[in-house]
Amino acid sequence: MPSVPIGLRATIRIGAGFCFLSFTGPLLAAKVTLDPGHWGNPAGEECVNCHTKSSAGLAMEWRESAHAKAGVNCLDCHKADVADPDALKHEGHVIATIVSPKDCGRCHEVELREQQGSVHAEAYSLIKDRIPAMVDNLTGPAVQAAGCDQCHGSRVKVKGDGTLDPETWPNSGIGRINPDGSKGSCSSCHGRHLFSKAQAREPEACARCHSGPDSPDKEIFEASKHGMIYASQRHRMNLDSPQWVAGKDYTAAPTCATCHMGAAGKLPSTHDVGMRNAWALNSPVSQRQFLVLLEDGGKLEIPAGSPVPKRGEEIEKLDGTFTKVKSVVTPERRREAMTLVCLECHGKPFTQGFMKQFDNLVELFNTKFAEPARAIMDELYRGDYLTPLPFDEPIEFTYWELWHDEGARARHGASMASPNHAWWEGMYLVGRNFYGKFLPQVREEAGAEAQAIIDRHLTDEAGHGWLANPGQHNPILGYGQREGGDG
Amino acid sequence: MARFLSAIPITRPVLIALIIGGLGGVLFMVFLLEFDRYSSTNAFCTTCHSMTYSAEEYQKSVHYNPVSGVRAECGHCHVSEGVFAATWDHIKGGKDLWKQLFGADFDDPVVSALHLPDAAFATRKWFKETGSATCQRCHVLEAIQGKRADTAAIHREETQGKSCIECHENLVHRHVPSEETFKREAWNRMVEEEFGLEPGAAERILAK
Repeated sequence: MPSVPIGLRATIRIGAGFCFLSFTGPLLAAKVTLDPGHWGNPAGEECVNCHTKSSAGLAMEWRESAHAKAGVNCLDCHKADVADPDALKHEGHVIATIVSPKDCGRCHEVELREQQGSVHAEAYSLIKDRIPAMVDNLTGPAVQAAGCDQCHGSRVKVKGDGTLDPETWPNSGIGRINPDGSKGSCSSCHGRHLFSKAQAREPEACARCHSGPDSPDKEIFEASKHGMIYASQRHRMNLDSPQWVAGKDYTAAPTCATCHMGAAGKLPSTHDVGMRNAWALNSPVSQRQFLVLLEDGGKLEIPAGSPVPKRGEEIEKLDGTFTKVKSVVTPERRREAMTLVCLECHGKPFTQGFMKQFDNLVELFNTKFAEPARAIMDELYRGDYLTPLPFDEPIEFTYWELWHDEGARARHGASMASPNHAWWEGMYLVGRNFYGKFLPQVREEAGAEAQAIIDRHLTDEAGHGWLANPGQHNPILGYGQREGGDG
Repeated sequence: MARFLSAIPITRPVLIALIIGGLGGVLFMVFLLEFDRYSSTNAFCTTCHSMTYSAEEYQKSVHYNPVSGVRAECGHCHVSEGVFAATWDHIKGGKDLWKQLFGADFDDPVVSALHLPDAAFATRKWFKETGSATCQRCHVLEAIQGKRADTAAIHREETQGKSCIECHENLVHRHVPSEETFKREAWNRMVEEEFGLEPGAAERILAK
């Protein structure tokens, strides 16, 4: 694991300019600078008349929106070209049901540019390799539509008769592959048809997906000091403000959007939600990651340690297409960007110390559990103790949950300051399941060879030496307690 | 007129001719009425196998099984009211019979599905031209209340200059997109997938 200094050079660099963040766009959420002649299609008024009656809730939400106040009506967003795969004729107008990021980007150009290629936009591509094991085998296709795809996004299928395949729609998953080829769904965070900025700034906007056993970010935030203060000081969050710069327009607490997207001090806001993440936390072994900016506007995450692509080099994207590298952002720079948010409220040593505690926990998870477990699984597969087929042996569930569930909870807990998730919901379960379930299952699968395999990968340096001292007692479970002691 | 009539001697043969002609005329009208009635029934239309595919979808629709029990048969929607208009529609419909007998093999469900969009476009055009007259045999705009409060308001306020078909299509038969947004290639691929044919089979079948 390459060691990356976590010094706060960022603050020093403030004076030196923000060239390393220049790709993030303007300081504030971009204001639409287009001429208003681009919207306000008079034919759209007809839609409103009928939809006020046929779907009153939807129309009312729109009436309350900034869109309505600016004169943006139904047809401005839903209009389509007859050649569009999902175009349909509705009451005399050619429209599309799905308003894709590309459609929103007709006006919100900056946000589209930032969002395309982000970890959110690529959320479908990121897990598509897991579908055969998790959906096709372990459960069934119904799960993909109602489960996976609702967060990660579906590949929306337009049927030959022009209707949207109900296996893939309705869907507002954040990495949705739209019929126009664009990726993502703005309404994933900006609920239809109000599209409220304030709503997207609240942590609840993220909770639909960032909750539950594998990524309990909602629960982590709520259990953190940040979340506690947010809950009690919500009235001071200035959520409706057009400009929302941390440390300037609000100071009570950060929300998810503050740290991952928001403007803070001189740090500009961004719709690339993963840009400030130095670590990949949702992987079997965490690695710091480079952000590769591509010529075509896309982006790629490359783990530190693998060869770093050079500017101008041809590179394969997640969807299998090729493009050229524009520039590469190091994990250190990404950490610096995140740190700038912290510094609006915290001192340098405080921030530095927090990041150190976070990094230490990730390194501990990696070296003590993730790397040995992965190496042991490799040996079991290579030695034919396990079939290559995922999830047909109990140990495969144990290993999967070790990094995907409790392992991810621990790492996220440390990243966002929830002690409960870092420990009881996280590392405690990692330890319990590693020693209490994973290793016994290795012994079951590998029989006589098991101990040799385990010994090869569990080292004293990584923290497993305690197993060699069975006589070392501790009163936690009662052994050695004196009669009459207070326990 | 009187002079003209008086010019025709009311002889026995003339009288017989008048009676036969009169009776013949009445019988012809009765025949037309009966012909239009019978040839508008579901039973008659589905004597052609090709029509049973349309019937399958129709039998799943509300027009076949409404809560009210008022069943609309093929002719109620697709044949105009009145003996002359109905007869004219049946004469025009003769071209479909011609196609059935001498055209493509519409009894083949693949051929039928591939040609369905063209039939749908033609039928929608007919509904637009006739001002959705056949719908209004049963549906009276002023009487439409609907289950939801706003249904009546929409039919009162949003129907100026429109007939039923402008808003209501794809109600009874298989969903077909509008002619303007229809994509033949996508339709062909869908039909191929549905019938397990290799890609390109649809184009070959249509070219026959």
